[in-house]
Amino acid sequence: MNSDKFDLNTRLIKIGAVTLIAGIIANFIPVMYLWLVYGEIPPFQDILKIWTIALVTFGVSWLVQPLAFFSLLGTSGSYIGWLAGSVADIRCPAVTMAQKVTGYEAGTPEGEIISTIGIAGSVLVSVSMITIFTIIGANIIDILPAFIKASFKVILPAVFGAVYVELASKHLKMGAATILVALGFSFLAIKLGVPGWLLNIAIIGAGIVIARIQYLSETKRSETNV
Amino acid sequence: MDLKTIINSPGMWIASSFIIIVVLIQSIVFLREAFKAADSLNMPRKHCYAGMRSAMITALGPAFAPVIVLLALIAVVGAPTAWMRLNDIGAARTELAMITLASQVIGIDPQSAAFNLKAYTYSLWGMALNNMGWMLVALLFTHKMSGMVTKMNLKYDPKWIKYLMTGATVGLFAFLLSGQLVTAKADKWYAALISAACMLCISKIFKKNQRLQELALGVSMLVGMMLATAIS
Repeated sequence: MNSDKFDLNTRLIKIGAVTLIAGIIANFIPVMYLWLVYGEIPPFQDILKIWTIALVTFGVSWLVQPLAFFSLLGTSGSYIGWLAGSVADIRCPAVTMAQKVTGYEAGTPEGEIISTIGIAGSVLVSVSMITIFTIIGANIIDILPAFIKASFKVILPAVFGAVYVELASKHLKMGAATILVALGFSFLAIKLGVPGWLLNIAIIGAGIVIARIQYLSETKRSETNV
Repeated sequence: MDLKTIINSPGMWIASSFIIIVVLIQSIVFLREAFKAADSLNMPRKHCYAGMRSAMITALGPAFAPVIVLLALIAVVGAPTAWMRLNDIGAARTELAMITLASQVIGIDPQSAAFNLKAYTYSLWGMALNNMGWMLVALLFTHKMSGMVTKMNLKYDPKWIKYLMTGATVGLFAFLLSGQLVTAKADKWYAALISAACMLCISKIFKKNQRLQELALGVSMLVGMMLATAIS
């Protein structure tokens, strides 16, 4: 089928690979800068520790998310999306809109071309917006009233509380169970002197187990409802 | 040299700009390739521009959404790093999670006064190593992804994969949230509970208002932070 012609084009794959390699290198430039200019670098075991924490926490996402979004993004879209980010909230709607407005369908060569145009266009928009707002934000952060500056001391519980509700809102039972388990484990961890990374794994594991229970009960329910 | 000066220095701005330059060049190159391919398939330019325009307009709203959380990132790690990390893979909440996890390795809370150059360095390493995960997967597997997706859907129930991801993410934020609350004074509990309540209200009561839904995280965060500080 013709659709292989655009998307699986070796030239595009080469472009994608080169830009991702450049991205991975650029990813580390700030830490290299801190090392070269200020001599600050974590000892190798700590770097390994940090990487392991990231792997355990986000490793499943690293693999599953690109797989899950591939059918919508396509090949070029994936190269762009997993470098520039905001896949679910900006790139996917951009693809859908571009295809909808022009009538080119997904899976056709025209559909893939227009979706690439849409995603690339959306990147130009998001980078511009974030740049503008960073400049504004950087300038107003110092002139914020003292009260607001003081409130940044509790910014993390505020962010995590809101994020938690956002994530759990469609699965209230799972959400309630997981936070209760998490609080329980955390209290115990302090009593028993369990290190943070182990607690992290334990609670994520608990979250997965609770999700499995929820999944199995839903599957059973839908089977008995047949 | 104090932390604020370092994290906002011109050097940091330049170091942080490289990935943004790569992101922009990548999109521009793909755009050119796509337009060339469009021409060879006789797709009318007008259609291509229409598709591009509608995608760009659609992107405006969600691109604006992280604005308030951007302020939070700027407050914790400075503008250059916030700018870099919001322009690459990894949502604001993922970056904040990674900053917290990495700082924890040396026992520092990012929002406290103890957050120093060492903790900042650890945070940057955390975000770099984490984001590399997605980039590596895309680099190594995109060209064979179609086959992998088929295999994955055959081997596992897509519904279970969704639950797995939700369970893992909910678990992570449960860990981060409880970490904030467990030995904390009342103000942190207020912040978490108020922002959670705010998020719940916005998502249930105002669920028809698209714009508000996108800004919900930022708004809830602000309300939680400020009310908690006011009442404690």
